[in-house]
Amino acid sequence: MLKSLDPRVNRLNIPLEEAAHAQKNKLDQFETYEVFVQTKEDKPFEHVGIVHAPNEEMAFLFAKEQYTRRGMFCISLCVIKTENIRVSDYSENQKDIYDTFEGKYSGKTTYSFEVFHLIKRGKQHKYEGNVQAKNFEDALLAARDTYPRNKPVLNVWVVKSEDIFVSDEEDQDLWDTLQEKKYRDAIDYRAADKIKAFKEKQHEH
Amino acid sequence: MYGGGNVFERMKATALVDEDPRKLAEFEARIERGEKIEPKDWMPQLYRKQLIRMIEQHAHSEIIGALPEGTWITRAPGFKRKLALMAKVQDEVGHAQLLYAAAETLGKSREKMIDDLITGKSKYSNIFNYPAFTWADSCFISWLVDAGAIVNQLANAKGSYGPYCRALERICAEESFHLKYGHHCVIHMATGSKKQREMMQAAINRWWPPMMHFFGPSDTISVHSEILMKWKVKMASNDACRQQFLDMYVPKIWELGLTIPDKNLQKNNETGQWEYTEPDWDEFKRVINGDGPCNKERLAVRRTAEERGRWVREALLAPKTKYITPLA
Repeated sequence: MLKSLDPRVNRLNIPLEEAAHAQKNKLDQFETYEVFVQTKEDKPFEHVGIVHAPNEEMAFLFAKEQYTRRGMFCISLCVIKTENIRVSDYSENQKDIYDTFEGKYSGKTTYSFEVFHLIKRGKQHKYEGNVQAKNFEDALLAARDTYPRNKPVLNVWVVKSEDIFVSDEEDQDLWDTLQEKKYRDAIDYRAADKIKAFKEKQHEH
Repeated sequence: MYGGGNVFERMKATALVDEDPRKLAEFEARIERGEKIEPKDWMPQLYRKQLIRMIEQHAHSEIIGALPEGTWITRAPGFKRKLALMAKVQDEVGHAQLLYAAAETLGKSREKMIDDLITGKSKYSNIFNYPAFTWADSCFISWLVDAGAIVNQLANAKGSYGPYCRALERICAEESFHLKYGHHCVIHMATGSKKQREMMQAAINRWWPPMMHFFGPSDTISVHSEILMKWKVKMASNDACRQQFLDMYVPKIWELGLTIPDKNLQKNNETGQWEYTEPDWDEFKRVINGDGPCNKERLAVRRTAEERGRWVREALLAPKTKYITPLA
């Protein structure tokens, strides 16, 4: 058996010889969800990264742990399955991707879509607003006709509103940090006085 | 937390021959302008390969690094230290998730990366192949190994690949707590009883050689490392990182009345560089190739966790889902 300094490892009774390792099953690790965070009332949702999860409820829980823990302000969180996001082409700097879309918006309101814009390279997509359209292509055209664009948009993500899993407004207290959890902050570890006292004591000797 | 001195793959002389010269020039011009490369952009195969390797090693280091510290959670002195160490270990595991996600945007799935870790195909930071004998070892790791990691991570955060930089920004924000916590622990030991001081000194004596290995051997000047620097995959030489670490932390160790087990260690005031005994790179190579005190244990523990979690993943599996690469 593997001998370790850690009693917990010893209790695992791991055989010393390399245990034959079966390759992981395909999709053993679940599909991915894109995560968006709203940090303040007057700020839009912004993409922060991904999580792996078997369903959207668990994606939400993982996202909360991974992207909105202490020190990371959050008032609302949403997750969207990666495959439900329609991604436009990317434009080069200074060119607006919307200018490359051809066609006319149908004006139909079959589905509701949410639109996210990328304005600057290296930054992340931000929520722009909601449009009604008959399909994804139509939603891009609707967005083109709806939003004023002071700065060129480099890339657009569009997703059906029904595919978004978002926190309820009354759940905001999920992100309140408890007073007794200050031990997770750097500010709780001041020690300059201790070093000073130590040096003075050394000096006396 | 993370070790530098990445093991990059040797580049074949023909590595760039198959790349479209026009696209390559555009790619290099973009990096030159200081713009980030994003997942959907064209990139040379070599860039993709080396980045996957680097980010993946970094992610594995976070996971494996949690093991020697995790050992000490139940035995940390006092409730507050237990809480703090638990929070720190939880952070490290969270960092691994952020990093796996960044690497995934380059086209290697997370399950493949975890597979490569537990079969021993991928590397992780060599320093975690050493055991944490006492609480003082845990203090050393929390303060100085994390400090070394921050030196590396701050450099890499200025790199060229967007998703990796964004993950590192999040990680660095959390590391400030680790560093302060670790320093606080070491100060407590160093200014405590005679026994505590002795424990702390013994830990420094044990960990100093692996700490000097941490940043990796001096980079050989090669076309290879020049390209990685030009593409902003590698942001600073291993020696530059080691110098920066020594400059920031040796005085802080000395001010606590602790010593460093290298009689040649001193700052040359003319060159501004630290001089030290050349670390034993044969030992480094031996350990990184699997023959360290804890290599077997680290992988066995990780593999066991993976196998024991299998039933949970299987119970939750949705058989019809198909994997697609995440967006950004």
